[in-house]
Amino acid sequence: MRSLFSKERWKTLFYTVSHPADGYYWIRHQDTGSVWIAVLLVVLFSLSFSLNRMYASFVVSDVDPRSVASLQELGGVLLLYLMLCVGNWSVTCLMDGEGRFKDILIAVGYAMLPMIVTFNLATLVSQIIAENEEGFYAIILIIGIGYTAMMMLTGIMQVHNYTLGKTLLTLFLTLFAVFIIIFLVLLIFNFITQIVTFFQSIYYELIFRT
Amino acid sequence: MNTIKRMLIIALLLCVLAPSALADLDLPYDTYTYDYWGNVRFTPAAYAPVSSVSGTDLTYNGEPVGAFSSPQDICRSPGGLFYLADTGNNRIVVLNEAMDTVINIIDGFELDGRRQTFDAPTGVGVSLPGALYIADSQNRRIVALNPDGTLFKVVSNPQSEVLEEGYVFTPLKVCVDYAGRIYCIAQKMFEGIMVFDTDGRFTGFFGTIEVKISLWEKFWRRIASKEERSKQKLFIPTEFTGIDIDDDGFVYASNIDTDGVQAVKRLNPRGEDVIKKGPEENLGGDLWIGGYTQYSGPSKIVDVVYRSDGIYSLLDSLRGRVFTYDHEGNLLYIFGGLGTQRGTFTTPAAIEAVGETILVLDAYRAAILVFGETEYGALINEAVALRYDGDETKAVAKWEAVLRLDENNELANVGIGKAYLAAGDNEQAMLYLKRGMNKSYYSVAFKRYRNAILRDNLGIILTVVIALIIGLVVLFQIRRRRRAAGKGGNRPKRPKYGHDGGKAVST
Repeated sequence: MRSLFSKERWKTLFYTVSHPADGYYWIRHQDTGSVWIAVLLVVLFSLSFSLNRMYASFVVSDVDPRSVASLQELGGVLLLYLMLCVGNWSVTCLMDGEGRFKDILIAVGYAMLPMIVTFNLATLVSQIIAENEEGFYAIILIIGIGYTAMMMLTGIMQVHNYTLGKTLLTLFLTLFAVFIIIFLVLLIFNFITQIVTFFQSIYYELIFRT
Repeated sequence: MNTIKRMLIIALLLCVLAPSALADLDLPYDTYTYDYWGNVRFTPAAYAPVSSVSGTDLTYNGEPVGAFSSPQDICRSPGGLFYLADTGNNRIVVLNEAMDTVINIIDGFELDGRRQTFDAPTGVGVSLPGALYIADSQNRRIVALNPDGTLFKVVSNPQSEVLEEGYVFTPLKVCVDYAGRIYCIAQKMFEGIMVFDTDGRFTGFFGTIEVKISLWEKFWRRIASKEERSKQKLFIPTEFTGIDIDDDGFVYASNIDTDGVQAVKRLNPRGEDVIKKGPEENLGGDLWIGGYTQYSGPSKIVDVVYRSDGIYSLLDSLRGRVFTYDHEGNLLYIFGGLGTQRGTFTTPAAIEAVGETILVLDAYRAAILVFGETEYGALINEAVALRYDGDETKAVAKWEAVLRLDENNELANVGIGKAYLAAGDNEQAMLYLKRGMNKSYYSVAFKRYRNAILRDNLGIILTVVIALIIGLVVLFQIRRRRRAAGKGGNRPKRPKYGHDGGKAVST
């Protein structure tokens, strides 16, 4: 928690954004990163995402602001973040990845910064945009998403000491892992409800018979 | 105590005597429209039931007319008479303009000296000179009668190469344009509307509906064997259901669209669809069509009527609604519903309009239901008519009155916003156009507003930009010097990928 207030750690964050390969390397090998900052960035991204959906000008956005539930979106983003990291961790563990779970959390979390900046910037720019100028708005968003994707890729590559091809392969397998996780979670939920209803029915049976 | 009592009495009296503002609540149906996002938005009633006309109320020459039997079509002549196709009774009932007196009952005509009768006449149409065209469906012919009841011509057994061998001509609906061309919707004729020239010769098809096959269906047909394919359902276009002609000779034709996207076409003389779709890109009636009840599914549009000033109404038999659109395809209001109360339908079959009054013919109830516009409906109709004529400034007063009754009305907001835009008040225009969710006009207003601000503050903006550039240049120079002096915290170089042969060393 204290790392949130460390100047050095924040400096590392910005260094990582401007020099992804270097930054992630030192995060892995000298522990210069901070999981708390990474989680904070993910939360901030979720907020920027919701803000964009709510307040982007109606010229560029077709979203009904009344339909945006920012807390739900926050939950969804955090869950996705967790599942991605767990999925990646479980795959890379088996594929000679050098990264610890902590490093993966940081690699993905730090990569959110470009999206946070560009989503908010796009929301602001959308206020001074008219029809036929939506391109500017779109290009800001595309740059942000592209930079984040690039950072995430570099991050995963660096913390695991992988080559590009292997990184792409593990990312693909990560998706599979995520699907398996979702499947298992649903299965467990289903089983638990069945067990609960089983004991419930025993209880009701006892109550009604006595 | 006394004063309180008196106040209570006054309040009570006000409740009782209050004018019909609350009377809308008595209507057996909701009036609504869809907003920019496709959500249902309830509005004040646009139309209210006025009366209904059934055969049992009427007499002709002192004798009772008798209940109509499954009437299928109603048509108003240019002279103001109503022709009702009383299908089950094989007759045409002619009513006067007020629909309280029967002027004539046509149940046959003379052909070559022999008396001929009708068999299930399902459609009627009247030409400009007043000739009556009857789709005599089970006799497989269209009969045209002069206003005095004598035979004008009979159209039957169309001959053409494009028609299949042994095709049985069963006309359902019929319409005549200003030149005397006959447009006919025939049963099981999927190629389009059949057009006959003034001599009654079949000239061709008009406004073909294209078949929609999804990629998925194409895929399955591809891998199916010939035998399987013969058992699959055929992909045939839907038939037209209703037809009307506007003042310019354009044909409005309704059809049942299974996707609920476009249930009406406006066909130009070449048979091309030139209808304008509104912001929703939807002319198919209801947008909320999901679910698995008997009331779900796309609206079943059974008839269309062109009213005036570009306004047309569609009749839905699935949920008993009347949808009204303007010439730009904007949805104006939706009213009506199924039921047995006054003002609801059981099986709506046809729709007709007289001025601003809407008539709906209910086949099962065998009655004509008359709907009159309310204050709200009248204001919208008038405002749209003024806009149609290009009188947008005059329409503003109407739109403002609409907003007093229904403050979220998008069309009204756009109408007022456009007027402000024309008057040069960009800020007000932006406010109203944003409320009306009109992107293009909002953008016009916003661009003007933005340019004005830029023009007025050009000096300041340029100064700030130049100052920023100078500041950045200076900053970079300072940083570079510092780095050259060795003050920058440079990190050691990281090794290349795979630097330690894959052996992880935790630090």
